[in-house]
Amino acid sequence: MSDPLLKLAGVWKTYDAGDVAVHALRGIDLEVERGEYLAVMGPSGSGKSTLMHILGCLDTPTKGTYRLAGEEVAELSRGRLAELRNRFIGFVFQAFNLLPRASLQRNVELPLLYGGVGGDERRARSREILARVGLGDRGRSLPSQLSGGQRQRAAVARALVTGPALLLADEPTGNLDQGTGGEVMELFDELNRAGQTVILVTHDPMVARHAKRIVRIVDGLVEGGERAAA
Amino acid sequence: MAVADGFAEVRAHAGRTALQTLGVVLGVGSVIGTMGLTAGGRAQSLKFYAESGGVLKCMVWSKPLENVRTSAREKASLGLTMDDVAAVRASVPGFDLVEPTVERYLPVRTARLTRNESVSGVAPRYQELHELLVERGRFIGDDDIATRSAVCVLGATRAREYFGSDDPVGRTIRLGDTMYGVVGVLKYREFYWNKAETYNSLEWMNELILVPVTALQVRQVGAGSKSIDEISMRLADRKAAKEAVPAVKRLLLARHGAEDFQVYARIDRLQQMDQQGKVYDLTFMICGLISLIVSIIVNANILLASFTERMREVGVRKALGAKGWHIAVQFMCEMLVVTGIGAVLGLAVGIGFVHGIAALLGQTAALTPAMLVVSVVAAAVVGLVAGFYPAVRGARLDPVVALRYE
Repeated sequence: MSDPLLKLAGVWKTYDAGDVAVHALRGIDLEVERGEYLAVMGPSGSGKSTLMHILGCLDTPTKGTYRLAGEEVAELSRGRLAELRNRFIGFVFQAFNLLPRASLQRNVELPLLYGGVGGDERRARSREILARVGLGDRGRSLPSQLSGGQRQRAAVARALVTGPALLLADEPTGNLDQGTGGEVMELFDELNRAGQTVILVTHDPMVARHAKRIVRIVDGLVEGGERAAA
Repeated sequence: MAVADGFAEVRAHAGRTALQTLGVVLGVGSVIGTMGLTAGGRAQSLKFYAESGGVLKCMVWSKPLENVRTSAREKASLGLTMDDVAAVRASVPGFDLVEPTVERYLPVRTARLTRNESVSGVAPRYQELHELLVERGRFIGDDDIATRSAVCVLGATRAREYFGSDDPVGRTIRLGDTMYGVVGVLKYREFYWNKAETYNSLEWMNELILVPVTALQVRQVGAGSKSIDEISMRLADRKAAKEAVPAVKRLLLARHGAEDFQVYARIDRLQQMDQQGKVYDLTFMICGLISLIVSIIVNANILLASFTERMREVGVRKALGAKGWHIAVQFMCEMLVVTGIGAVLGLAVGIGFVHGIAALLGQTAALTPAMLVVSVVAAAVVGLVAGFYPAVRGARLDPVVALRYE
């Protein structure tokens, strides 16, 4: 493949904590190809959350470069970053983060609304994607009427509805029991088999095992980039 | 979508919304209530005027001089005369009717009773000018004036007193020393300013005893006398009032050399009332404004207090691609939904108040388009001002910080 989907080179992230500068990331180099299934692992405080924020265009590096789909992210305005998140990235959170007062249908439509997609197309696409994650008949339900596994699948549907290049999941099974967590992981596996680029951010080896490549972050640096057995 | 989100928020926090809307409800309610009362009073006046000759009616009455010592010039004044009528007709444009009235207190004798009554000598146009309605027979005509004929027209109350349930037309009554033939009876008229009022403001019409002005002059005042007691006038249109009414004053003052008369124009009275109404409106407008300012402060406060609980939601929306303005619009819309509900309730409260008072006093409830404007503007201003700071804060919120917020 000519150009990787995303490429970080010498990325630093430094926070000011009073007088002391805290280096959350200290020179990360990382490339992810289209269609990859990657797990970013590391203990808490390792900088993996900061890395996820940068990968997800929620934050920009203090130093270094980050190219996503051919675009240099570090220099962009907040508005442009929002557009990039909307077009290229689908987030799945540990706590699902569905809007509690909106139906599943409306939750799933939300990224399309922010992307400026018209009403009819919004409804059609969100219905289609809900059906794909097995919630085709629950569009009118509120998140509180669903089980945890169903909620996370709805969140995956919301992440996928814009057809993002990258699905970015932060501890996606953290709030689920083992059984339903397994079902959600199978959903990710299936999506990746269909060609979806997936990055999992986790500390759980059982989750990371699903990925085809594991990157460990320790003290703000990439420890190893070994290929997992296919 | 943002408006629907606003309604969802309102449903989720009914109690908080009730508090938030309270200021707007009270502010809008008080302003609309006052506007309704002043408008209702105005409508009632107009109704009264319409029943008795319209807003264009003007009167000139004789008035005794106030100072005890009068100058020779003042003593020389004859009071209102037929010549005054002719002068006004000739030199003051803007009136389409100028009619003299002579009044005398005369012993009235009928088969049933004898009593002193006020008898008015009038001209045919007097009927039109005061909007008198003839129930039976006819009014005084031009021929009666020319021939000084001894005919009279009775108000409804007088007719009943003198003739009971009999038809008075064709009968005679004695006014002073002269027998007058009754040619017409006026329709019974009534107007009460409100339900509690027992005074019929149109009762004077029912108590009229009208004869041709010439007949009264020749028989009771003395032939050759030009003295009259009042002049009734009607303006050609509203625009004429500004010039014509002061012109009458100036003319009469020049002719009499003393202010032994009084000019009254309904249209001036109406303008005075409108001025007073404006003062009331303004006073309550300021009260309403204070409620609205308090409401702005309360709403901004509540929105900011609820802000922390909304931070995560803002973070999620931003992660999904919401730009700053999406968040700002959403917060603004939520605020406008709340104040909009407040304005609708305030409008209902105000209108309810106006109808309640109107029903209590038996008046007409007047509703004006300005009320709708007031409530819409109040809702928009409170919503936009109170929502502005929280909206800007939401728009600027760093998504990483917002998402991390537990």
